[in-house]
Amino acid sequence: MKRRHMLDPEAATGRVLDAQLHLLDRQVHDVASVPVTAVSDLEISDVDSIQNIPPGTPAPQLIALLSGPVLGTRIFGGRPPPSRLQRIAWSDVDEVGVVIRLAVKGETLDATWAERWVRDHIIGRIPGGRHDPE
Amino acid sequence: MILSDLLGAEVYGEEPLGHVTDVRFVLEGDSSNQPMPRARLHGLIVSPHTKSSPLGFERTEIRSPWPIAQLEHWLHRDSFLVLWADIAAILPERIQLRPGFTRYSALLVKSAVPEPHFE
Repeated sequence: MKRRHMLDPEAATGRVLDAQLHLLDRQVHDVASVPVTAVSDLEISDVDSIQNIPPGTPAPQLIALLSGPVLGTRIFGGRPPPSRLQRIAWSDVDEVGVVIRLAVKGETLDATWAERWVRDHIIGRIPGGRHDPE
Repeated sequence: MILSDLLGAEVYGEEPLGHVTDVRFVLEGDSSNQPMPRARLHGLIVSPHTKSSPLGFERTEIRSPWPIAQLEHWLHRDSFLVLWADIAAILPERIQLRPGFTRYSALLVKSAVPEPHFE
């Protein structure tokens, strides 16, 4: 027999985001539409006494998008150490759509440090590596 | 806490109920001091038969491609949403619900993200 459940009171309000459906694995673009990274995980605010949550405890908030090397852990299990995950604060998110658009430049984010390091220390030392192609 | 602590966790009431296949957030309308409103955890979508994602077929208007929609609806039959208020404990790979928790439909009628239109 097919069970019918009550409709979620928020399901039709247009204010709902499902994590897997709308956020995970989405590409992130900065304010200039430059691709920055993809969303690997989400950081949610901690809850006191999570192993015995008292009734009336406020719901946790989404505080950051996380990106990092998760391919291996998705295949083999486990999770990368927190130090390997880069955070993009939810307050920096401007719009969620086909891509997640930020309200800040990618240059200011930890998520692009590897690209910046390669640019400054390797590409920049190659003759002609500090200006656009002519 | 990170989302991976919740996704795939086994959910228990008085008996095993299924696994968390998605986590639903709600944008709060009164937080206008930042580009996107604050997002609070609204509830967990629990599927009794699979750990896999519903691939977007929880949206009521998505019914094609028909064979995949039918397969996903069958895999996620009896899926339900439990609200944050009904969560009693979050333990490693296990979530305990309060006695008398309410099962809401996991269907998503209208989300905060505009749907792409394919011509």
